[in-house]
Amino acid sequence: MPLLVFEDIWKSYQVGPTVLDVLKGISITVEKGELLAIVGPSGCGKSTLMNIIGLLDKPSSGSYHIEGEKIGYDDDRILSSIRNKNIGFVFQQYYLLPRLNALDNVGLPLAYRNVPKTEIADRSMEYLKRVEMQDRAYHKPDEMSGGQQQRVAIARALVGKPTLILADEPTGALDSSTGQDIMNLFTKINEEEGVTVIIITHDLKIAAQCRRSLKMIDGRICE
Amino acid sequence: MILGANLKEALTSLTTAKQRTILALIGIVIGIGSVIGMISIGAIVQNEALKQFKEMGIDIITVRQDSGNTGKGGSFRLDTIRELPLHVKDVKEVAPYINSSVSYGQGRKTEGIEMMGVTETFFRINKLRIKEGRQITDLDENRYFCVIGNGAANILRKFGIAQPMGSQVALGQRIYTVIGVIDKVPEGGGMRPYGLNNAAIIHISTAKRTFQSPDINVFLARVGTEQKSAQLKQSIGDYFTFKARGLRVNVQTAEELIEKMQAQMRLFTLLLGAIGSIALIVGGIGVMNVMLISVTERRKEIGIRRALGAQQSDIQSQFIIESVMLCLVGGLIGIILGTFVSYLFAYFTKWEFVVSYMAIILGFGVATAVGVFFGYYPARTASRMDPIKALRS
Ligand SMILES: Nc1ncnc2c1ncn2[C@@H]1O[C@H](COP(=O)(O)OP(=O)(O)OP(=O)(O)O)[C@@H](O)[C@H]1O
Ligand SMILES: [Mg+2]
Repeated sequence: MPLLVFEDIWKSYQVGPTVLDVLKGISITVEKGELLAIVGPSGCGKSTLMNIIGLLDKPSSGSYHIEGEKIGYDDDRILSSIRNKNIGFVFQQYYLLPRLNALDNVGLPLAYRNVPKTEIADRSMEYLKRVEMQDRAYHKPDEMSGGQQQRVAIARALVGKPTLILADEPTGALDSSTGQDIMNLFTKINEEEGVTVIIITHDLKIAAQCRRSLKMIDGRICE
Repeated sequence: MILGANLKEALTSLTTAKQRTILALIGIVIGIGSVIGMISIGAIVQNEALKQFKEMGIDIITVRQDSGNTGKGGSFRLDTIRELPLHVKDVKEVAPYINSSVSYGQGRKTEGIEMMGVTETFFRINKLRIKEGRQITDLDENRYFCVIGNGAANILRKFGIAQPMGSQVALGQRIYTVIGVIDKVPEGGGMRPYGLNNAAIIHISTAKRTFQSPDINVFLARVGTEQKSAQLKQSIGDYFTFKARGLRVNVQTAEELIEKMQAQMRLFTLLLGAIGSIALIVGGIGVMNVMLISVTERRKEIGIRRALGAQQSDIQSQFIIESVMLCLVGGLIGIILGTFVSYLFAYFTKWEFVVSYMAIILGFGVATAVGVFFGYYPARTASRMDPIKALRS
């Protein structure tokens, strides 16, 4: 059974008197364990697509199945719970909470699952080690470099053992060598843990390292 | 989400936005502080008043001649009062008294002393304790002997009489010999006549000869419990109507006085409670305002938390906990402040300081309620935010 099935997904915005179609009938299937890149020019709708995949946003029409289950959009509790347990997000701007240290940031997804405190700390530390950030565990985000923050963000995405990692331009704010380190991390996660990873990127060098890449132009997937 | 983690986060978020937090706290501190202060002061006043009743016993009544609005009523005759226990068997003892204020001292600096003319029973009924010497007895009839209160003794010392006991003092153009000093008694509220501490107590017969207005208008009595108070009042009223040609009397029992005082206290508490509530509402609106600003400023954080899988209810409880914590901190400061104010009150009135635990529990309860009530709307706004819009902000 495929992990994700998108069938004819549309997303439109009402902007003043006109309707703006951002996604124009997207159909994709993603198998478990894939390392997939989505590339395309700015404004073509990549982030919009990712938000829909990640259940942060809902499509205007079309159907979406995760592991064979059709997503209904009327119960926010179910959507939140799927985000919490099955999906890990990595954003271009890292989005760590500035007041929490690295360890507490990593532990956040578990905190929303009623995992006991000591176990949260243990597991968070384990994942910080995996991204080689254990010696920055008690640093606040503003005491870390961009690359380091992104590593912490990846640990946070992984700590809940999700089936899917969604990364929206994870290397976009980093220089090319740091970006490559981050990319290596994704490849490693994908290979070692079998986690499905979807990376949105501008960088063709990054896309080339993925086993499959989809090109998006103006709200459509071509080839 | 685990409560502990939530509390810790609420604390850090409140301490990072210090200025705003302090501003919101002021309203709550004033609100809770005034409620607690008022209730505690009420408790001190009530405690003091009840203490006197407890000390004197509640079997004491005050009987006044009731001239009504006409102004020219009669007054009691001493023998009529003294014979009352013979006719109304529930009246065990009577203590008529008359009083008159005189000023003591020479030249510019004078102090007021309350002269009281009494009978032997007065000391027993008022439970006055003799510190030095002896009390006035009925054998002191027409003699210029006085027993002075603790305060009066201090006044004498101030005027150079190092040993008031046994000294000769000039009061109202007569010279009296001090034959006794009584212990300090609590003032105000009870059945005891006012001014006992600053009094010079003499025999009633001496008083009738020397006072400008020697009329007896009031007496205290100790009563038994055989009769209901209404019946007792009736019997006493009938006695004077018969014996003193229609003299009307007003009988006040200790119970009635306590009840009246408690009713007054309730009114006082209610009034002050209302003032405190207004302060609390103002404070609560301040908290709501601060929480709304906090929600707007932390939209991105809310978006991130939602992306990581926080339920709407998690976000809501996070902000409610924060607002409750804010109010509890304000409440704690308010409770400390209010208790301190009531301590000062007790200190300056020289009354016993009592901590009203009820008020403290109420303070924390009210603070929590204000936090939940005024935090609810901002927290709900936060929880209903669209995750995408929140993330983009
Ligand atoms: N809430 C909205 N209302 C109206 N238009 C929107 C809204 N959100 C996104 N859009 C539009 O949808 C289009 C796609 O936006 P999106 O963020 O998905 O692009 P993107 O491919 O991720 O671009 P980039 O590479 O620059 O991140 C844009 O033209 C944007 O203006
Ligand atoms: Mg984008």
